[in-house]
Amino acid sequence: GGGGAVDLVATRVPVLADHPLVRGPRVRKLKIGAGHRLDVKASGVFVLGIGHGNKLLTELYNCHLTKVYTVGGLFGKATDDFSDTGNLVEKTTFDHITREKLERILAVIQGTNQKALLMYSNIDMKTQEAYELAVKGLIRPMAKSPPIITAVRCLQFALPEFQLEIHCLHETQQYLRKMVHEIGLELKSSAVCTQVRRIRDGVFTVDDALPRTQWNLQSIQKAIWNCQLKVETELEKTL
Amino acid sequence: RQLREAEEAAPVFQYAGKAARRKDRVFVWGFSYSGALGIPSFVRPDAGWKKPRRIQPTPYRLETEEKISSAACGYGFTLLASNTRDITKVWGMGLNKDSQLGFQRSRRDQTKSYEYVLEPSPIPLPLEKPQQTRVLQVSCGRAHSLVLTDSEGVFTMGNNSYGQCGRKVVEDEIYSGSHLIHQLKEFDSRVVQVVCGQDHSLFRTKKGTIYACGWGADGQTGLGHYNITSVPTKLHGDIAGVNIIQVSSSGDCCLAVSDEGDVFGWGNSEYLQLASVTETTQVNVPRHLPFKIGKIKEAACGGTGNVVLTEEGNVFVWGYGILGKGPNLTETAVPEMIPPSLFGWSAFSPDIRVAHVRCGLSQFAALTNRGELFVWGKNLRGCLGTGRMEDQYFPWRVTVPGEVVDVACGVDHMVSMVRSF
Repeated sequence: GGGGAVDLVATRVPVLADHPLVRGPRVRKLKIGAGHRLDVKASGVFVLGIGHGNKLLTELYNCHLTKVYTVGGLFGKATDDFSDTGNLVEKTTFDHITREKLERILAVIQGTNQKALLMYSNIDMKTQEAYELAVKGLIRPMAKSPPIITAVRCLQFALPEFQLEIHCLHETQQYLRKMVHEIGLELKSSAVCTQVRRIRDGVFTVDDALPRTQWNLQSIQKAIWNCQLKVETELEKTL
Repeated sequence: RQLREAEEAAPVFQYAGKAARRKDRVFVWGFSYSGALGIPSFVRPDAGWKKPRRIQPTPYRLETEEKISSAACGYGFTLLASNTRDITKVWGMGLNKDSQLGFQRSRRDQTKSYEYVLEPSPIPLPLEKPQQTRVLQVSCGRAHSLVLTDSEGVFTMGNNSYGQCGRKVVEDEIYSGSHLIHQLKEFDSRVVQVVCGQDHSLFRTKKGTIYACGWGADGQTGLGHYNITSVPTKLHGDIAGVNIIQVSSSGDCCLAVSDEGDVFGWGNSEYLQLASVTETTQVNVPRHLPFKIGKIKEAACGGTGNVVLTEEGNVFVWGYGILGKGPNLTETAVPEMIPPSLFGWSAFSPDIRVAHVRCGLSQFAALTNRGELFVWGKNLRGCLGTGRMEDQYFPWRVTVPGEVVDVACGVDHMVSMVRSF
């Protein structure tokens, strides 16, 4: 037989789907782009663009500005991936190496790269404007090109370690490690790269960069504000 | 840990010890069919797969037995000299149609001489004390050569139709296959520099005087007339009493630098080389060139353009042709400076200076204190060594595997003495 009439009572239960503990903290989606690559074993300045900054990133890329690295090296060893964590290939003596010999090799590297700079810039050498640009030192490849080193300097030299400051264009960190290896070969010994640190990427230097402890909203805003002027002047100069 | 132990136990190789010396090498480039580069396989390939190489566009190593201390390039021939006490001191290669390389006995016919010498071949000099005398310097002109020794004067060989060898002109003399090497000893003091122009010779003595002989139709002998001189005669004019420390000539114009930093010029002025003092196209007496560019250290004379190097290390050019300041500057009578940034000077490396300047017939070469070689000018048959065949309108670095110590420029080839790293 039917039972008694069941009373339906309307109750309101909150919808848990919208609860912050279920959904997670509300975030705004931001588009973040990265500038020039920095691989796992290297450190230093890494440029990121947020939102509208991504368009500025592509424009900065087309400016083809130089990047500055400090590269640390060690004489006496050669490994398969040119860094000190790889598998050992060979050990050599290095006591015949002096700072003078190293600087001579660096001068040769600068010389050959100077030629590459002029060749890949795709300017007709016979014109007067090519001469004017060469005098001012403004000839630069404005398109894709193999890695070019515009300046090298020896900062420290204490056998078996040494440190170089390298200004370059269109390079990869592995190319810099390979260069350390080739310097070792030229000096009739061998060398591995112990440290690659980018200290400047176009207009951004280590002083503008935020260390890990300052990755919060206020510091990021302040940093963007400081760099805005520099970026604008550089873009106007080149484009 | 096992990896580390394996690393420690690995053998250590030694490629170069502490006493490893830097070696001196010779590099050549330019037109090779005359044999002037000294590499026979470029002209007559010795293997089936090799092809004859007409032009060597980049520096190529020339193997020599001895260390070469001085080199000179003429018109299609080269002389290399070593500072040794051995009997063979001078080697020559290239054109020998006027016996500018001496008598090179042919293997086929013992009485005839080779007309083209493809390999550096020793030149026998009639020395009194062959095991004591040293050859200091060599110089080459269009068809004659001069060899300077330290105690036996100057030896000349080659064409003498204008008296450029310092001996009397013999009518209808046949220069090909000639054994004659003339010795010149009568100067007021020891000769310290010999320079060959196109058809004339200049001698600079220790006292600072200059002697000249040879063709004079452009006044390049500087003796006050336009005739041939067949005996070396002293020059007067503005350089009388002046201590000259360097003299240079390559075509028909001559430049001399005094110890006080002044420059004097005489000879051909059709290309405005001497237009700062005179409107005439030939100057037959040395004239002082009043340039206000500082104390001059070195000067070099080309066919149509001249270049000087000042004490501060600046390079000034004037004359006609490709002067090194872009395609727009083709002629100037007043020296114009080439910006040092073109020679590698920058805020990053501010201590780069030009150390020497040299001139070919239509090319210029500059050596920096870091051992880099910069060339510019007309690229005749690849003589600039840049690897390209086009003319170079501003200084361009030549890639040489070593530190360039000296360079000699000819018409269509160049020779450089390089120290390895």
